[in-house]
Amino acid sequence: MFFFTYLARELRRRQRQAVFIALGLAVGVGLVITVTAASAGVKNAQSGVLKGLYGVGTDVTVTGAAPSNSQVKPGSPSALGSGNRVSIMMGPNGAQMCVNGKCRSLKDGYTIDTLASSSYAPMNEKAASEIAALHGVASAAGGLLLTDNKTTISQNPSPPTSFSVDGTDIGKPRLGPLSDAVTKTGRTFTSADATRNVAVVDANYATSNGLKTGGTITIGGTKFTIIGTVAQPEGSNPPNVYIPLARAQSLAEQGPAGGSLKNDVNTVYVTAASAADIPAVQNEIAKLLPTATITTPSSLASEVTGSVSSAAKLADDLGKWLSILVLIAAFAVAVLLTMLAVSRRVREFGTLKALGWRGRRIIAQVMGESFVLGLLGAAIGVGLGFAGAAVINAIAPNLSATLTQSTGEHIMTPNGPLSPTSSHTVSVPLVASVSGAAILAAVVLAVAGGLLAGVFGSWRIGRLRPADALSKVG
Amino acid sequence: MYELTGVGKTYATGSQRVLAVSGVDLSVGDGEWLAIRGRTGHGKSTLLNLLGALDRPTTGQLLLDGRDLGRMRDAELTRLRATTIGFVFQTFNLVPTLSAAENVEAALIPLRLGLAARRRKVAAALDSVGLTDRSRHLPSELSGGQQQRVAIARALVKEPKVLLADEPTGNLDEETRDEIIGLMEKLWREYQLTLVLVSHDGAVVRRAQRVGVMSRGSISFET
Repeated sequence: MFFFTYLARELRRRQRQAVFIALGLAVGVGLVITVTAASAGVKNAQSGVLKGLYGVGTDVTVTGAAPSNSQVKPGSPSALGSGNRVSIMMGPNGAQMCVNGKCRSLKDGYTIDTLASSSYAPMNEKAASEIAALHGVASAAGGLLLTDNKTTISQNPSPPTSFSVDGTDIGKPRLGPLSDAVTKTGRTFTSADATRNVAVVDANYATSNGLKTGGTITIGGTKFTIIGTVAQPEGSNPPNVYIPLARAQSLAEQGPAGGSLKNDVNTVYVTAASAADIPAVQNEIAKLLPTATITTPSSLASEVTGSVSSAAKLADDLGKWLSILVLIAAFAVAVLLTMLAVSRRVREFGTLKALGWRGRRIIAQVMGESFVLGLLGAAIGVGLGFAGAAVINAIAPNLSATLTQSTGEHIMTPNGPLSPTSSHTVSVPLVASVSGAAILAAVVLAVAGGLLAGVFGSWRIGRLRPADALSKVG
Repeated sequence: MYELTGVGKTYATGSQRVLAVSGVDLSVGDGEWLAIRGRTGHGKSTLLNLLGALDRPTTGQLLLDGRDLGRMRDAELTRLRATTIGFVFQTFNLVPTLSAAENVEAALIPLRLGLAARRRKVAAALDSVGLTDRSRHLPSELSGGQQQRVAIARALVKEPKVLLADEPTGNLDEETRDEIIGLMEKLWREYQLTLVLVSHDGAVVRRAQRVGVMSRGSISFET
């Protein structure tokens, strides 16, 4: 009781100084919370972009190495056929299509529609079950990321068109790009669709191409019935069309090489048992599939460019160091002011020692005052942190995220083969969110700062001889 | 009560050594009032600090009720100050943020008494110095004389055997000085205290049973 009365009176007496110390700590803490919130917002924006690529539940993605274009020599026919060895020769007498070596002229308006895995090399679909059996893996599903290319033979040539197709393992709906999608119209896949020519179309792609549930879409020369449309999270870069994996395997071929993809996948989506298991799982997969590319969300994040990437770097580098510097400054101010305050009270503490107060009791009194200032600083700092996050949300411009991916096309030019890439830039809102962990850390920091100030302030007092303390003027 | 034999105190200030008290032989009996006078800087306050266990002698032996203060551990000295010795200072040394009652209560904190017992003793102590109606006032709201009364109540609330007063009237006018010395004399008799009072004021010193004179760290007695 006396402890608290004395403590409260002392803080009230030194109100201005107490407020100054608490505000110093609060600014430091508030900045830490704001930077943490901004950093979390940037990370959320990043993960929003990444989620759309590989699905929300995927921790590790395994893809076959990208096929080499060196197999296709300049001036040689491109391999665009489906199933058979098909090649197109562009010559002075018009287009010629050669199927297994037998060539014929193509009529104007003839459309070649192929479904190919041009971005990734195939792996046997057993890879998914082998990965699923690894220690630390919760589940794994195979998929085929494909590109449908349409080329129309014409006297007035128009550029080929393409769209992306995802062969989805519909038995594992919680993994892969479709896992994070929200059904907008119709329905998504059921187990009965495994071998049917049915497709789910991305809602944005459907809108821009006039596709509707109940309509059809031609993929790899085969008509698929659209059973639904889905929307992916804002900022993601989802496939345009989803079809059952089995149908994708039977229709697709491996890009320039032209081989069949039956029983193959080119992507395996893996969920680790826990976040801590991800590095070990990554290593295990690398041993199992030495040539495969293994991607974790953190490694994928480095491939995202644009302001979201700059913001992440800014939050990680400048924000972190700025917070640390401000915190150190706040701690130093708190320590110096507390030492100053204590030095003015040396005679008072000497009197208490003369009354029989132990050094420990006096130190506890000073520490108590510092602790309360730390708590006050934490409370104000949390408020400042929320305010800072609100200001960021109010004024921060949307972040842009640019994902550069292969289109899956392989075009022959007189100078050699080209594998065009497409850059997909999305605008991602930055939502700074204050987490409970950040608040807890901030409170701990502020209290630690206060106690540190108390320790420095009271250390000398505890050791001072009463006669010396009483002889101090003040 | 006190037995001092060859007590000396040397301070080191930088490279210099200052002999503040030198070869003091002194006996103070139970219930005696000893006044010590002398010029500033001749060791009066240093001797009082030694008697009050606020400092240790560098030479000689200082016994309080047979216990050698120079050989006691810090914790024992702290305990001794808490239970046996009361102090009154020239500048009152009240905690400015605490009320009169709380300042008096501060002397009872080391004794670990319950709140009710503390309150009862505080009320009695303030009553004995005539400040019951000022118990909730802060030091800044009290006159110099009233502040010294609070300091006397604080010194006596724990019922010590010894009261040590260092220039207790040094900051007071003549009328208040007489009032305070009168009060101290009354309480000395009432509580059967051993009182050692340092002052350079002849009017104050004259009221003591015995007067010692400090000069260059040594003590002699007036006859």
